[in-house]
Amino acid sequence: MQKQILSVKDLDVKFNLRGRTLHAIRSLSVDVYRGETLAIVGESGSGKTVLNKNFIGLLDANGFIDGGEILYYGDHEVRDLAKFKGEKDWLGFRGREISMILQDPMTSLNPLKTIGSQIAEAVRVHQKLVGDDLKVAVHELLHEVGIENPEKRARQYPHEFSGGMRQRVVIAIAIACQPKILICDEPTTALDVTIQAQILNLLKELKKKLMLTIIFITHDLGVVANVADRVAVMYAGDIVEIGTAEEVFYDPRHPYTWALLSSLPQLGIKGEELYSIKGTPPNLFAPIVGDAFAPRNPQALEIDFLKEPPYFEVSPTHKAKTWLLDPRAPKVEPPEYIKNIRGMGRR
Amino acid sequence: MEERDVILSVRNLDVNFGSRRKPFRAVKNVSFDIYKGETFGLVGESGSGKTTIGRAILRIHPVSGGEILYKGERISGKISRELDRKVVSEIQMIFQDPMSSLNERAKVDYIVAEGTYNTKKHLSKRERALLVDQALLDVGLLPEFASRFPHEFSGGQRQRIGVARSLIMEPEFIVADEPISALDVSIRAQVLNLLSKLQKERGLTYLFIAHDLSVMRFISDRIAVISRGQLVELAPSEELFRAPLHPYTKALLSVVPQPDPESERGKKILVYDPSVHDYDEDPPVWEEVVPGHFVLGNQREMEGYRMEANR
Repeated sequence: MQKQILSVKDLDVKFNLRGRTLHAIRSLSVDVYRGETLAIVGESGSGKTVLNKNFIGLLDANGFIDGGEILYYGDHEVRDLAKFKGEKDWLGFRGREISMILQDPMTSLNPLKTIGSQIAEAVRVHQKLVGDDLKVAVHELLHEVGIENPEKRARQYPHEFSGGMRQRVVIAIAIACQPKILICDEPTTALDVTIQAQILNLLKELKKKLMLTIIFITHDLGVVANVADRVAVMYAGDIVEIGTAEEVFYDPRHPYTWALLSSLPQLGIKGEELYSIKGTPPNLFAPIVGDAFAPRNPQALEIDFLKEPPYFEVSPTHKAKTWLLDPRAPKVEPPEYIKNIRGMGRR
Repeated sequence: MEERDVILSVRNLDVNFGSRRKPFRAVKNVSFDIYKGETFGLVGESGSGKTTIGRAILRIHPVSGGEILYKGERISGKISRELDRKVVSEIQMIFQDPMSSLNERAKVDYIVAEGTYNTKKHLSKRERALLVDQALLDVGLLPEFASRFPHEFSGGQRQRIGVARSLIMEPEFIVADEPISALDVSIRAQVLNLLSKLQKERGLTYLFIAHDLSVMRFISDRIAVISRGQLVELAPSEELFRAPLHPYTKALLSVVPQPDPESERGKKILVYDPSVHDYDEDPPVWEEVVPGHFVLGNQREMEGYRMEANR
């Protein structure tokens, strides 16, 4: 059995918006295991980013944790991140234990400071290095993320770097304090496919070398298939299906996962209409009754509208929140075209 | 292959930027034909010049060499007023980012109708409003939306507004510059369906610009691959996926992400190294190796390509 490094239990996150309360994360539980890559997929607004912001204490000021716990299994002690109060608690933790890289490398760097000084900042604060030691550490980091000629590059500004190179710099900053968990929030969405492949490879290498655990947020299922050991599918603030990458891609069980996979243009047949999910995601200001996806699911059962389904276990590593897995449910087949996913990469 | 009408023809197109003494050649000697009613895909990395070609067709960038013919008439360089007017309404563009391509301060009715203020001056207020309603209905939005502002819409709806704005001009040829790159997976499918529905109903021709080959395969009839301002390969979609010839195309195909964990894990990434070509002594030419399949290469490479294509 793998060891957990992060364990989220019944987490509720809410936002105060103009006097109303938005229920962004709805009683979500998930375990992240040491050394794995867990991919979190879902549409925009499903709560993937909000969930992960809780892990590094960067929730927006109007958001708050309303119950549940986030247990972090450090080397010496177990800490509940949900109980952290204010910046003081986070300062020694963020970056050193859990670190994050963001989507857009164009905006996450300071355009007025050299690359070297931005990386040095992270190293100085956490490792207390100064002078030449600091410089050497910065050059090593740049080298580690595959940037050639680090002495020269460290003196340059962000505008002198291409998109892919900037993302490498952001990664260098993120790993500067040897974190245990690296959260990657859509790190390749803004990049070209060729550059994307390079960055994904870099992340895989670093994971091996630094024994990182990676939480990978994305809506690109191609990228997920490339990096993920396990996949969690999020919808309306909860995980509706989780399993190994093979299980989720080749044997998906939740209708929402079916819908996501079916709408991939890669699976489309030329001249025919692509599958698209009807309707819009539910309003999270109002309480959700039953299965959150039911209103958009043409095959929804009656009970989907009445009672929220629990997790049903498909295998010890694979579970899904849908009444279809209940022994009493009628047999509903997944759509035809997602059955040929296995092996499509070779065609 | 049956004879088809060429709607747009790009001949030896050059686009340069910067000073005349030290120009930057963004597009070098590019030639291709687009047939009426087809979807022509143009694929390349950022900076390869694909958007520049699209913009040259729309007369946004002046061409530095070669010419662009629309329905047999030259539309690049100096053209007559009547032709300019015709081109402006018949060739339209859909932009990549629906968040930044709509005027934040204008209401939807103005955004959609903007083009008609120049080309259809005789319209009364009421007639114009009717046109807007119809354009919104055509893209699957409600006419009520006309009085709202762009920020009230989701990404997919905004992209539909962008489509409505070009439809109102009754275009025949649409340059779609990465119209789905900025959208969510589920919304991508909706926008692609909309574009193909409109194509069927109105016989539109698309020049579809993207960097993602996987989407291209589904929507394009033919695909051209561009690298550093030059076309390197052009073929019918299936042919390009079945038998890619140019090393750059092969490299691009090798990085296309597929939603299949097994093949993704075993995948070999090919890296394109431009120095494999010995173009100094033997410059490359653009040649049709099998009917419909063009590739850029010099005499030595061409032999290899021909053998590969006929295998």
